[in-house]
Amino acid sequence: MSARAQARLALVSALRGLAATPLTSAVATATIALCLLLVGSFVLLLTNMERVLARFGEELAVSAYLSDELTPAEHERVAERVRGIAGVENVRLVSKEAALERFRESPFGRASLLEGLDANPLPASLEIVLVPAERNKEGVEKLVAALAELPGIAELGYGHEWVEGYARAVGLVRGLAAGIGAVLALATLLIVANTIRLAIYARQDELEILQLVGAGRAFVATPYLLEGVLEGVIGGLLALGVLALGFRAARVLLGGGLELLLGYVEPAFFGPLGALALVVAGASLGLVGSLAAMSMLRSARG
Amino acid sequence: MASAARPRTGQGPEPGLGGAGGLVRLYHVSKAYLAGSWALRDVSLELAKGELAFVTGPSGAGKSTLMRLMFAAERPSEGQILVLGRNVGRLGPAGVAKLRRRIGVVFQDFKLLHRRTVEDNVGVALDVMGVPPRERKARVFAMLKRVGLQHRRHQQPLTLSGGEQQRLALARALVNDPELLIADEPTGNLDPELTLEIMDLIASSAARGTAVFVATHDHALVERYGKRRLRLEGGRLVEDVRLGRP
Repeated sequence: MSARAQARLALVSALRGLAATPLTSAVATATIALCLLLVGSFVLLLTNMERVLARFGEELAVSAYLSDELTPAEHERVAERVRGIAGVENVRLVSKEAALERFRESPFGRASLLEGLDANPLPASLEIVLVPAERNKEGVEKLVAALAELPGIAELGYGHEWVEGYARAVGLVRGLAAGIGAVLALATLLIVANTIRLAIYARQDELEILQLVGAGRAFVATPYLLEGVLEGVIGGLLALGVLALGFRAARVLLGGGLELLLGYVEPAFFGPLGALALVVAGASLGLVGSLAAMSMLRSARG
Repeated sequence: MASAARPRTGQGPEPGLGGAGGLVRLYHVSKAYLAGSWALRDVSLELAKGELAFVTGPSGAGKSTLMRLMFAAERPSEGQILVLGRNVGRLGPAGVAKLRRRIGVVFQDFKLLHRRTVEDNVGVALDVMGVPPRERKARVFAMLKRVGLQHRRHQQPLTLSGGEQQRLALARALVNDPELLIADEPTGNLDPELTLEIMDLIASSAARGTAVFVATHDHALVERYGKRRLRLEGGRLVEDVRLGRP
């Protein structure tokens, strides 16, 4: 028999098995779907939080305010020296005039604060962006230490504490997702293994007959393993569907509030790879559950 | 091992270690399910290609144990069993599966797959052998025709009468052209007409070269079809008679 014919036979047996024990199959599928729904929700939240973090990271710049005593030519020379510091990706020189213009155009009516002033009080500054690998507390501290040795810099400004705090929150959610995911996966495996074991018990006669006519281990086991995989795939697709509906509902109900919550980063759902990973995770849970069920049965038989 | 009483023998060679052509050979086989409680005790016999042997004896005499040993559902506690050249006591799970593909077994309770069609019940014996779908279909149809069930092939076993279920079980046992056919009370619950129908099929398999081993309480059957009669009592083989029919 060709491999294709064998696979077809195993698939037909698996589908027949699912139909023969609809309740246990539904319980296994629903358990996998519920597990993936919870884990998927965490992963979705995490993915969006990481997008926010990435955006803040891009905007994490150190501002070096230059002394008013320096001439524009000297500003250029300081900027050039800063560009030479290790870990610096980009340096933008903001002149006194540009700073004033930016201040006037900024929201919240700040322009009124400048009324009555004869001279421009704002200093020229350098906006320094680090390379992505250095966009963290240690990177900022190294830069600050290097800048402190340069003449002409009056003051430094950087908001890395906030970003660090957010990164810690992301780390916490990541850890939580991993922990909850592991516990849920284990609980799901136990439930799935036991429901599949029940399904196998329900078809004990069939197993016995197959063995009596000379079915080998693979012939007997493959349909059950396929059953687990099919339950996992269906569970994964169900979870994906519910997550997609929930995501769409959240966007409609919360509107711009969701984007505000995410720091004006557009909320994103799983891409094709993420969706595939969720379904594959379901299939893996089903497969491992089936393997565990068969292993439990073998142990019980001694 | 304690020496056993030699069974009463009729025409033909002595059972036991002799004879090179035996498809089934038992050498001083004993089987105990519990320590000291023997279901089978010191049985030696040989079954040749195309031979039709009946094993008789009261309930609990060891007939079923003897058959279970032959299709490797049990291992002997003592002695050796060679079935189709394989030592049953030393076979692993894969070896047992391979051996069973060469053996047809008919059970008193039929052991049919009730959720499958008649066609699938017969076809499953070919599926485990990896027979391609087209050949499977042809062989199953031919086998069902042989037992007169081709018109029932799309039905489920529970819609068949007792006699039809028995014929179906026999069709499954014979579809892979087994070298050995083991039948445990294959006509136990059938009326006389169906009994003869089933036995004719079994006898025709023996005529084609299959070694056949039938357990029965029906002495009339043994008289009508038997070429060899084995009798078990209390787990011991007390009679092994070749009836000398052509």
